[in-house]
Amino acid sequence: MSSVSTLLEDRGAAFAGYSFAFLDDMAKREIRRAILKGIAIPGHQVPFGSREMPIARGWGTGGLQLTLALVGGSDVIKVIDQGDDASVNAVNLRRLIAKTTGATETLDTAAATLIQTRHRIPEEVMREGQVLILQVPIPEPLRLVERSVAAARSMHAEMDYSRMWLALYEDIVRRGEVSAGAGYPVMVNGRFVMAPSPIPRWDIPKLDNARCLFLFGAGREKRIYVVPPFTKVEPLEFDDYPFDTEHFDGKACALSGVTDAYLVESPTEDGGSRWTASDTNYADKVLAGLEVDTKWKR
Amino acid sequence: MEALTESGIRPPDTAGEQPLLRVEGLTKHYQSASGSRIVACEDVTFDVYPGEVLGIVGESGSGKSTVLQCLFQDVIPTSGEAYLSSFLGGSRNIWDADRRERRHLRTHDMSMVYQNPRQGLNLMVTAGGNIAERLLAAEWRKVADIRAKASDYLSRTEVPLDRMDDFPAFFSGGMQQRVQIAKALANNPALVLLDELTTGLDVSVQAGVLDLVRDIQHRLGMTAIVVSHDLGVIRLLADRTLVMKDGHVVEAGLTDQILEDPQHPYTQLLVNCVTH
Repeated sequence: MSSVSTLLEDRGAAFAGYSFAFLDDMAKREIRRAILKGIAIPGHQVPFGSREMPIARGWGTGGLQLTLALVGGSDVIKVIDQGDDASVNAVNLRRLIAKTTGATETLDTAAATLIQTRHRIPEEVMREGQVLILQVPIPEPLRLVERSVAAARSMHAEMDYSRMWLALYEDIVRRGEVSAGAGYPVMVNGRFVMAPSPIPRWDIPKLDNARCLFLFGAGREKRIYVVPPFTKVEPLEFDDYPFDTEHFDGKACALSGVTDAYLVESPTEDGGSRWTASDTNYADKVLAGLEVDTKWKR
Repeated sequence: MEALTESGIRPPDTAGEQPLLRVEGLTKHYQSASGSRIVACEDVTFDVYPGEVLGIVGESGSGKSTVLQCLFQDVIPTSGEAYLSSFLGGSRNIWDADRRERRHLRTHDMSMVYQNPRQGLNLMVTAGGNIAERLLAAEWRKVADIRAKASDYLSRTEVPLDRMDDFPAFFSGGMQQRVQIAKALANNPALVLLDELTTGLDVSVQAGVLDLVRDIQHRLGMTAIVVSHDLGVIRLLADRTLVMKDGHVVEAGLTDQILEDPQHPYTQLLVNCVTH
């Protein structure tokens, strides 16, 4: 039996002893059924039997299982880690997926059919037929206000979100604003409050009425949930404290010069800092002089 | 023949008026560890009319708190029916309500002031936030409006407004109780349940809290059920009173009548114990 490392080294023997796409057929079937249920009930957390993966829990096992349950040999896959295609984790996941399926690897958002991502939604608009798979550490948006899983589930069932609203109220009283930076809670289809995974506020408006399919997978917590295309997704907000994204007034990406992207700060050798676009593929495309459509909302 | 109670509140004219709450045959049994049946309350029947304060008095273990807990759905009774006119027009037994309706009953139709403020308040949430919780459940979505309403209730209950954004965990017992009363008034519930609200407070603070409840009752005309082991509290607040012993109602009537002319031996004992 070949180890995973030899499997990754030798594409020719990739499938020896392993199922196509690593997961066994019953696991893939179960995950697909959970996805279908999730599509039918947008924002509802569907339990599934999370499998052991060749990466540690907390490193994207939920997203990876979704990807592997859906990917076919003709798919074009992209993996994003905090906006970056080139991080060690992104590269390893992309190679694992490609080598166990024969799928094509890409860095190009527009060319990909399946994109697995950690904590970012691409700046480039995704179109119909594309799937964005988000890795989720904590799928339960009520976790902070209700520790009991059973109680939280019945709160969802009864649409009892007053304690979630109370937490937002207390935040405003204490800090003058809702302090949630990443993973701002959203209402999906007017029914379920959902944790959008720790994407920045910048990405929240992209979830609303999008053309692509959003899948959320939490491997450690064993939950799958879905925002289908053309679904209403609204951040929770008070009438007099409206939701707002991050602002990067006057700042531009130091590499590509773009200003309409989520920027991240990094320290420089002289003790200062510089800002660059978190979405490296977007910055690269702009640098190459390509037209990129970034207007998610129409 | 219309007597004024000591609180100065005229007993409601109940002729031809529909009761706000109708309770019939409320019974709650528990099972002891040895399997024997423990009767918490048995066949309790009474009406509460709009604007009236009903007192329930009895010693500890008499079942008076069980009655309140059943009404507030903290405890589900073994048998019995209760109809609240604000809940589906009084057409449905509140103990047949599903979970969602039950929550509505607890956040809109009724409120409860517990003896221990820890039960009624979330001490990890600010005083204002505790009141906001009921308003948020009623879908208030404007922070400024919520804060205005919360300050209104807190000032009515004499909680200093500069403590509004502090945690009740750091309040005195009397002030916690006043926050709890403010919370109970939020959303203008049809019925307020007060369970031993002054027990555990020292005497001077007790007087202040009782004055407050009486004053609010006067101004808002709230309908309430007051449970207490203390006839003094009942005398101050209640228009009509039920006397409970061993799970049964042994006497019922106008509070003054019960105090002046107790019929049941237990009531006589109770009245004689009160130092005038």
